[in-house]
Amino acid sequence: MSSSQVVRDSAKKLVNLLEKYPKDRIHHLVSFRDVQIARFRRVAGLPNVDDKGKSIKEKKPSLDEIKSIINRTSGPLGLNKEMLTKIQNKMVDEKFTEESINEQIRALSTIMNNKFRNYYDIGDKLYKPAGNPQYYQRLINAVDGKKKESLFTAMRTVLFGK
Amino acid sequence: MMSVNRFTSGRLPVFLRKSPFYYSRAYLHQTCVFKQNKETAQDSPELLAKSSHLNSKPLDVSNKAPVKTAQNKIPLAHSKYESSKYELPKWKEALGELVIRAFHLDMDRVRAGPVAGSYYYKICKEQGLQYEDEPLSETAKYFYEDLKLPRTFSQWFQITVLHEWILFVRMRAMPFKYGRNYQQKLVDRTFSDIELRLFEEMKVNSGRIADQYLKDFNTQLRGAIFAYDEGFATDDGTLATAVWRNLFGGRKNIDMVHLESVVRYIYSQLYVLSRLSDREFATGKFKFVPPGVKVEKLTPKQEEELKAKTIAKYEALDKDPKTLPSERSRLSYTN
Repeated sequence: MSSSQVVRDSAKKLVNLLEKYPKDRIHHLVSFRDVQIARFRRVAGLPNVDDKGKSIKEKKPSLDEIKSIINRTSGPLGLNKEMLTKIQNKMVDEKFTEESINEQIRALSTIMNNKFRNYYDIGDKLYKPAGNPQYYQRLINAVDGKKKESLFTAMRTVLFGK
Repeated sequence: MMSVNRFTSGRLPVFLRKSPFYYSRAYLHQTCVFKQNKETAQDSPELLAKSSHLNSKPLDVSNKAPVKTAQNKIPLAHSKYESSKYELPKWKEALGELVIRAFHLDMDRVRAGPVAGSYYYKICKEQGLQYEDEPLSETAKYFYEDLKLPRTFSQWFQITVLHEWILFVRMRAMPFKYGRNYQQKLVDRTFSDIELRLFEEMKVNSGRIADQYLKDFNTQLRGAIFAYDEGFATDDGTLATAVWRNLFGGRKNIDMVHLESVVRYIYSQLYVLSRLSDREFATGKFKFVPPGVKVEKLTPKQEEELKAKTIAKYEALDKDPKTLPSERSRLSYTN
């Protein structure tokens, strides 16, 4: 098996691993999981798909757009918003070797297995801090939408801090 | 308050002394927590980050504004009372002690300023501090060279916030009244310092623009603290995502090994903090473990020894009639 084939296979493994990665609890501007899946699907030679399973083609700038870049004088770098988002969405071409991609897999699975969380067993002293034992629980409840803050509890936090 | 300044001037130099980068001794009262030998060195966050073979070049278009040294370089400590060389005149010191004794001042509350606002802010600030024309410190090398972060002011802010959050986690475990005060002092100082640096070092001329930056940094701080808290309370995956979004600015071609290294770095700091008692932490007996050092876990026996040592030390201090009122504290040393 050639080394590029090995890299592609490893990248597929990495994509599978990333698909098991915990999803963001709340919506952020960018999602680590989605960005990295897109990145490694490219390396694996898989087509990128959107939420509905349709493949997304990476669009190259058309001749008109290139002309427009050259002629434009206003706007940041002479670019318009549309073009800027295109640049932002552009993926960098990366060269992986067998070694480096396997390192990526190892590092990612270390993170996903909570290796350091388990190794450095910090204990309830910090997970349930004495000054505010419910702090993290309330935070997680609010993020997960399990238990909403009522006006009363919210005001209590504002006034007394906990 | 004068007597408080005495604390800063008299005590802190011991911690602030420059020490060689590789520690052979522990911070936790000279026990062997961070024994540095060649075998364990394989595992420090720094070496982990260096071990990566992925030669990724992050797109770095933002580095248009390197941080310049101000003409009169802003010291880490602004006031003369914070300087390690300053010594309070004896009569002022005595007067201060008298005031504390006469009015029964709560020293734990008073101490928040010099410890959290000055010393803890200083160590957070130092971690990522860099100037265009100066060589990087050892810790800064880890962030800017090993992790390939851009050398900008806002990146410095993100590094500082990460360290402040690590301290926040410990401060929450203090009695609420005091921990909250420590957090407040740390944040207050952060923003007053940033404001100064924006004018002096980043050469922002307009107050309005500086205000906009400050508001922006405030939003970033809230977002980062929330994200790290969420990660800390759930799992490493979420914590790594928070690090990626904040510290790495959502870099697309992130090296996972770097991410792993930072997660390791965070947990090793938190581990040390979790083994410190309230009294030690509140009197400023903590400093960050350099990224080149691996934090070894304590065995139960070592942990007991450490606790016994701490208890013996502070019991003796509390009993000693010669202990000055400004050195007394009601915070627990047994936890």
